[in-house]
Amino acid sequence: MTRFLLTRLVLLLVGLLAASALIFFTIRVLPGDVAQVIAGTDATPERVAAIREQLGLGQPVVVQYVDWLGGLLRGDLGTSLITGTPVASELVEKAQVTLPLGVMALVIALAFSVPLGVLAALRRKRPTGTAISFVSQGLAAVPVVWAGMMLVLLFAVVLGWLPAQGFPRAGWNDPLAAIRALLLPALTIGIVEGAVLLRFVRSAALDAIGQDYVRTAAAKGLTRQQALIRHGLPNVALSVVTVLGLQIAGLIVGSVIIEQLFTLPGIGRMLVADVGNRDLVKVQGELLVLTGVVLVIGAVVDVVHRLVDPRLRERERTS
Amino acid sequence: MRHRQLRRQLLTAVVAVTGAALVLTGCAGPAAKPTPDADASLRVGLVLEPSDLNIRSTSGAALDQILIDNVYQGLVSRTEDNTIVDTLAKSHEISEDGLTYTFVLRDGVTFHDGAKLTAADVVDSITQVQQNPTFVDNVALQKVASVTAVDDSTVQLSLTAPDSNLLWTLTGRAGLVLETGADNDLSTTANGTGPFTLKTWKQGDSITFERNDDYWGDAPAVKEVVFSYIPDAASAVNATLAGELDVQTALDANLKDQITRADGFSITEGKTTDKYTLAFNNQRAPLNDPLVRQALRTAIDHAAIVEAVGGAAVEQFGPIPELDPGYENLSELVSYDPAAAKALLAQAGQENLSLTLTIPSFYGTSVANVLVSEFKAIGVTLTVKSVEFPTWLNDVYTNKDYDLSYVNHVESRDFQNWANPNYYFGYDNAQVQSLYAESVAATDPAVAAQKLKEAAYLVSKDNAADWLYTAITLTVVRDGVTGFPVNSVNARINLAKVAVTG
Repeated sequence: MTRFLLTRLVLLLVGLLAASALIFFTIRVLPGDVAQVIAGTDATPERVAAIREQLGLGQPVVVQYVDWLGGLLRGDLGTSLITGTPVASELVEKAQVTLPLGVMALVIALAFSVPLGVLAALRRKRPTGTAISFVSQGLAAVPVVWAGMMLVLLFAVVLGWLPAQGFPRAGWNDPLAAIRALLLPALTIGIVEGAVLLRFVRSAALDAIGQDYVRTAAAKGLTRQQALIRHGLPNVALSVVTVLGLQIAGLIVGSVIIEQLFTLPGIGRMLVADVGNRDLVKVQGELLVLTGVVLVIGAVVDVVHRLVDPRLRERERTS
Repeated sequence: MRHRQLRRQLLTAVVAVTGAALVLTGCAGPAAKPTPDADASLRVGLVLEPSDLNIRSTSGAALDQILIDNVYQGLVSRTEDNTIVDTLAKSHEISEDGLTYTFVLRDGVTFHDGAKLTAADVVDSITQVQQNPTFVDNVALQKVASVTAVDDSTVQLSLTAPDSNLLWTLTGRAGLVLETGADNDLSTTANGTGPFTLKTWKQGDSITFERNDDYWGDAPAVKEVVFSYIPDAASAVNATLAGELDVQTALDANLKDQITRADGFSITEGKTTDKYTLAFNNQRAPLNDPLVRQALRTAIDHAAIVEAVGGAAVEQFGPIPELDPGYENLSELVSYDPAAAKALLAQAGQENLSLTLTIPSFYGTSVANVLVSEFKAIGVTLTVKSVEFPTWLNDVYTNKDYDLSYVNHVESRDFQNWANPNYYFGYDNAQVQSLYAESVAATDPAVAAQKLKEAAYLVSKDNAADWLYTAITLTVVRDGVTGFPVNSVNARINLAKVAVTG
C-alpha cells in the first residue's frame, strides 16, 4: 500500500509539472497581449511598447516559465499583470463562491440521482422505471444555459422567491442571502449533472442486480430490493465515485457558464474575464489550480478505490 | 344664547374646514413631491467591468463612465450633451493667440483623504500625463509646452501651437487632478475630489461609491451607489424585473418589450457618440479601390441594420455624430441601390469578390448577418470571422490584417483617426489631413467646427468606411428614481443629480 501511495504521489507531481508547461505555453499562443488591452483602441504603438516594457513582457518566454515555476515551488502563484493583486488571494476570494456552488450542485445531483437511479433499475420493466429513464435522458440533453434561464423565469421573475442573479455584497457574512443566491445556479447545474449521474447509477444498479452475489442473497430469502440495497449498493457506490471524479471537470466547466449567466463573482467568471484581458499570469495560475484540483481528486478516487475494493488489493498481492 | 352658541360653533366649524382646505390645497403641491431618501442606496446595472481602476494607465470607457465626474474631477468637464463647463476651475480664459490657457481654481476643494487641493496638484497632474508615455492621453497633450502655477489659485498652460481640442482633452483623463503626495494604489483605490468616494471594488462583481460628505459642491442626494456588472443582456433584464436594480443601462433593444410589459419602469432614450463603424482596409486590395468601397456602401440598407439592432439607432452617413462639432447630415452621399452597387463592381472589374469581416465576438452576429445577405445580393461573398477582443486588437488594430471590420467607436471627437494614415483604417488623404490640422490650429471654435465639417464630408465622399449607425442608448429607470443621465451614458454617468424617492 505504501508503495502504491508513493507511486500515486509521484504520478500526481509529474502530472502537475506537465500541466504547468502545457498551460504556460499554450496560452501564449493566443493572439494579442495584455499591453494592447490596457492601451485600448486609441493607443499609439509607442504607448503599447512602453506598457509592455513596464510589465516586463520583453523577457524570453522560457525565462518567464522558469520564474513562474520557481515562484510555484515557493507557493507563490504570482500577481495580476493588470491590477498587481496576488493571484492566490483572488482565487481564495472567488473560491468562496465557486466551491459552495460546486458542493451544493453535487449534493443536489446526488440527492435525486442515486435513489431515482436505483429505483429506475428495480422498476426497469414498469412504467415508473421507464418514466425516470425517459425524463433523465431528456434532462441530460438540456443545455445548462437554457435550464438556468427557465429556472430564473419561474423562481425569480414570476414567483419572486429567489434572486435572479448576483451574490450578496456581504458575502458569507450574510449566509442566508448567500445560500439563496447560489440556490438557483446550483439547482441548474445539479439537475443537468444529476440527470447524467442518474443514468450511470441505473446501469450500475442493473449490473449489480445481475450479479451472482445478489442472486445468492435472494436465494437466501432476501427480496431482490433488499439484496440490491444491502449487497449491491456498495458496488454501485464504487462506480458512482469513479464517475463523480470524472464529473468534477464537467462541474468546473458548468460553473464557468453558470457564473456568467447568474453574474456570480466566482472562479469561472474571473477566468473568462482574465482570458479576455490577456492577464496571462492570472490565467495560468487559475488553470493550474483547477487542473490540480482535478488531478488530486483523481488520485483520491484511486486511493479510495484501493481502500474500499478488496479485489484490487488482492490482485496486487497475487501479482 | 343657545342659538348664538350654535352659530358660533357653526362659524368655527366653517372656519376650521376652510382653513383645513386651505392648508391641504396650499400644501398639496410640495407634499405630493416626496422628499428624496437621503439614506438611499442606488443600484445601477452596467455591462462592461473595468479590468483595473488605474485612471492613468488603463484605457477604456468603462473607467471614464463611472470614475470621471463622480470620483475624479478635472479643471473642466463635459455635460451629457458634450458642452464644456468649469469644474475644479472657477473660470478659465484662453488668450487670443490660443497659446495660453489660464485657469482660476475653486476655493475650498479637498481630496477624499482630506488634503486641500492646491495649484501644485494641478501642475503635477497635468505634467505627469504630458511626460509619461504609458499614461492615457499622453499624446493628446503634445502641444503643451509648460504647466505652471502663477499663484496659489491660478494655473497656466502654455502651448507651442494652438490646439482647438485642448479644452475638450482636459475634460477627459488628461485634465483630472490627483493629489501629488498621495501614494494610494490607483489600481484598486481612488483619491479624487468628486462628490462620491470609491468604497469598494469587488472584482468580477460590483463597485460601490459612497457620498462624500465633505464635497465642495452640493452633496449627492443618495448615500451609496452600487454598480453591478451584468454582461448577459437577458440576465440584466431579469435582474430589473426581479427588482434587483434601480437603473439598468444599455438595455438590449430587442428585449425592450419585456420591460414595457411590466409596471413601474420607464425607459429613456439617449443620444450617444457610439459610431458603429464598418471599417474598410483602405490600404489593401481590393478595398484600396474607391469603386469597390462605393459599391459596398451602396449595397448596405441602413434601415435594415437599424431594424436588426431593435431600432435603437440612428442612421449615420459620415464620421462625425450629431453630438460632436462639425456634424452635418450627409445622407445625400449614400443611397441604398443594389443594382448600382453591382454596376460599380463590374466597372471595377471585381465581379467575384470574396471578403472577410473580422468582428469582436461580443457584438453578436445580427448586424453581420444583414451585411452577409446584402453583400450576397451584389455578388460579394462575405465571411464573418468572430474573434475575441484581444485578437481583434492584435490582428486588426495593430497588424492591420483584415478586409472589413466592425467595432463601436465610442469616443467623441475622435476625428483624428481619419487624419492619421497609420490608424487601422489606413485612410490617407492629404486634403483631409490638412483640413484637420487647420481645425486643430483654429482659435475660433466656429472655424474649427467648419473645417471638421469639410473634412468629414470628404471622408464620407471617399467612402473611407461605412457608418452603419449611431446607437441610441436605452436606460431602464425604476419609478422613484430621478436625475439619472439620459445621453452618452456609456461614456459618462454623472450621478450628482440622482435622487431616490421611495
